[in-house]
Amino acid sequence: MEAFLFYFCGAVMLLGAIGVVIARSAVMGACSLILSFLGSAGLFAALSAPFLAVLQVLVYAGAIMVLFLFVIMMLEGPVMETETSRPKLWTTLMALVPAVIILAAVAIWLPAGRLPGFTSSVPEDFGQPMPVAAKLLGDYVFAFEIISVVMLVAMVGALALARSKRNQPWT
Amino acid sequence: MDVGLNHYLVLAAAVFLVGMVGFVIRRNTLVMLMCVELMLSSANLVFAAFSRELGDVAGHVFVLMNFAVAAAEVAIGLAILVQIFRLRHTVDADELTTLME
Repeated sequence: MEAFLFYFCGAVMLLGAIGVVIARSAVMGACSLILSFLGSAGLFAALSAPFLAVLQVLVYAGAIMVLFLFVIMMLEGPVMETETSRPKLWTTLMALVPAVIILAAVAIWLPAGRLPGFTSSVPEDFGQPMPVAAKLLGDYVFAFEIISVVMLVAMVGALALARSKRNQPWT
Repeated sequence: MDVGLNHYLVLAAAVFLVGMVGFVIRRNTLVMLMCVELMLSSANLVFAAFSRELGDVAGHVFVLMNFAVAAAEVAIGLAILVQIFRLRHTVDADELTTLME
């Protein structure tokens, strides 16, 4: 069951990712990205992290993608067109050569014996909201406070950047 | 055959590489931001996989932090993008070369 979930959701995630790169329009790319995030949520479920799976759907596939699609809608005309210039040859090589090298290294390093199952079993409530919250608000409470400052700065920064009349005072 | 840590690491590496290649070869800034999201998402997968392998829920906390960072990055990135589009009427990375001149 876990193997099926991994291969199915992994295929969805990878194909969605490839779809983002090869999509002709930004809207199709965004839809592929949603697919990829849903596959990722399934993988979280397979990794006994149900809380993360739910958050992945809510935050990524929900909120962040709505933001993306909203901006695509705002910028409709030029963004929707396919790119006019083709990628330059050296740019493509710069991306593809390291990718091929890394994939080849993984393929050489990875004979079948290096793919054992997980070595440990986890408790029944692993990844449920309660243990995650205990960790987040226990050991990592300082990081939690810092990340809330990051969110606040991002919110104020986005408001300051995106206002339309730069020379007028804040209202 | 059971699915283990290395399965997830290979998948995350593949998704990361797809995101990296997409970031370099696509010229639409919006799609480039989406590729950054892909790379962040593959990092999340590695965190969750190691968390499962080690039986420690701390990896899930890091994934939550990554969610917040990704949300902040998208909000700021898209705000900059909208502003660039207002000023220059393009989001093509090849035409936004003011700092190179």
